[in-house]
Amino acid sequence: MKRFALISLVLLGGILLSACSAAAQSISWPGLSADANHAYLAKGQFVYAVRLSDGSKVWQYPASGGSQVFDASPVLTPDGQLLAGSAGSDNGLYSIDPATGKDKWSAPFTGPDHWIASPLVLQNTIYAPNNNGTLYALNLATGGKRWSLPLGHSLWGTPATDGKLIFVPSLDHFLYAVDPQAQKIAWKADLGGAAAGSPVVSADGKTVYVSSSAKKLFALDTTTGSIQWTANTTDWVWNAPALSGDTLFASDISGNVYSIGAVNGKNAWPVVQPDGPVTGSPLAIQNGVAVATESGFVYAFDPHGASLWNIGVGGNIYTSPVASGNLILVAPLNADFMLAGVSNDGKQILWKFTGK
Amino acid sequence: MGAIWDQFVSLFTNVLLLIYNFLGHGGNAFGVSIILFTMLIRGITWPLNAQQLKGAKAMQDLQNDKEWQDIQKKYAKDREKLAQEQMRIYKDRGINPFASCLPTLIQFPIIIGLYQSIIRALAASPLGLLQLARSVYQVSWLSPFLNIATLIPLNSRFLWMDLGRPEGIPFPGGFTLSFLPYGFPTLAIIVALTTYLQTKLTMPPSTNPGDQTAAMNSMMSIYMPLFLGWLVLNYASGLAVYFVTSNVLGIVQYAMMGRVNWRNVLPGGGKPAPAKKK
Repeated sequence: MKRFALISLVLLGGILLSACSAAAQSISWPGLSADANHAYLAKGQFVYAVRLSDGSKVWQYPASGGSQVFDASPVLTPDGQLLAGSAGSDNGLYSIDPATGKDKWSAPFTGPDHWIASPLVLQNTIYAPNNNGTLYALNLATGGKRWSLPLGHSLWGTPATDGKLIFVPSLDHFLYAVDPQAQKIAWKADLGGAAAGSPVVSADGKTVYVSSSAKKLFALDTTTGSIQWTANTTDWVWNAPALSGDTLFASDISGNVYSIGAVNGKNAWPVVQPDGPVTGSPLAIQNGVAVATESGFVYAFDPHGASLWNIGVGGNIYTSPVASGNLILVAPLNADFMLAGVSNDGKQILWKFTGK
Repeated sequence: MGAIWDQFVSLFTNVLLLIYNFLGHGGNAFGVSIILFTMLIRGITWPLNAQQLKGAKAMQDLQNDKEWQDIQKKYAKDREKLAQEQMRIYKDRGINPFASCLPTLIQFPIIIGLYQSIIRALAASPLGLLQLARSVYQVSWLSPFLNIATLIPLNSRFLWMDLGRPEGIPFPGGFTLSFLPYGFPTLAIIVALTTYLQTKLTMPPSTNPGDQTAAMNSMMSIYMPLFLGWLVLNYASGLAVYFVTSNVLGIVQYAMMGRVNWRNVLPGGGKPAPAKKK
């Protein structure tokens, strides 16, 4: 009896630890992007192409599951590729034909560590930040390495650019501005905390906006890295703010939504707090802004912070919502579907994609 | 239940982070935090371990007891009567047959909680980092020590290891083995060895060839090191640091209690004491 109890305990421990080990893998929320006709969803072992008209599957990559774990939002390139980085043990960065779901490169680019951030494409070069803290510059046509530059700790945020410099956020508390011509760091700015999300650059290219775990949003001069203003937030603004005209819409992991002047850094809204934490970037819509919450809802607010509509989608939403045509695409976690097409007036869910 | 367990793991995570903060966030700080935290846990569970050892010793002594052996033979074909007699002897001698099991039961959630807290603290993915950010206690008097902005990212390096990943020293010349994807498993071997040593050193001798406890101990001394070694091969090396520290401290505790049986690790050692008569 005692022997049975002890062996059972050992087995139970093994099972429980095995369950825990999921956390050791880079399992995170899905990545999402879209063009006019298709959504591209990176979730688990596959990247899916989903038809926007009816939510049906066009293809999945790879055809059968391997060691890949796709979490980062796939990136459509100007020359017709779909780039998807894997956070699985393969450490591969893949080029997929968005029309067919087949490989475009002869082989993926294999990094030393996971790809948690999506890459940035500028002219004919891919700038891919790796979890090992190095920025890789790759040939867009072949995926071959051109050069690499060690920056800091893990790089999880998709870089942004003003056309000259590449702005790379790092968990090591710095925003790095990389000069791709010189292949070196032009400047770096201390953000006082980890930068897990992406920066965004103003339309005139003069300012880069980025947030950090120090519960601050920064506006930095793109040329010098000097701070133009700092806005304090109640909690960590995880991802890139949405820039709409002269306004930055931002949201934090305590569920506060802000409307911050892009020029002066002042929050124009009173407390606007939908029903749950927000990790994804807000989505600028025609008459305001939409945010997706961990509680599985999408909320829309007008330019003054008044509620326009809300709709329950389900699951927990951490991924930034994406707009395409008359749809707002939402990719929840922990739901019995992977992707939902919500009408952009927030009145109904037009379809749900389950992966089949 | 899930929320309670989450609070339990959060408590462990915060203690780990507090120690890490006091150590100054530097290189090896998180590994040292795990070692200090293990020492803390071992200190808290010291009375339980002592109780377990006493319980195991009492049960082992009982197996060598003449009266006990007699009733085994006498009621070999009458299980109900045997159980009644065994209960009577337990009662007469003031032995709780579960005294040696209870501490093990209590330590299992601690091991699993510690593993989850290590994984949570190291936050290998955005979802993990979000969970960590929420786990950190937002209490004003703790904020100078538990500030998420300054704590993240944790330095996961300890000696030659990345504590968030399985350990292995790469084979020379780029040589690889598919069943050892991380290289030569130094820590898995150390964990298996120290587990074997701990089990052997703390195993009381037995005279009774039919002693079930001794047979089980003997079986566990083989299977436990293999099982823990397998865990270390496949899971974050932070867990291995806990196992090694815990094993060494276990041996030290038993030695301090004068219960270490060094002869058990010698070939042909561990000769039994004669059976005693009540």
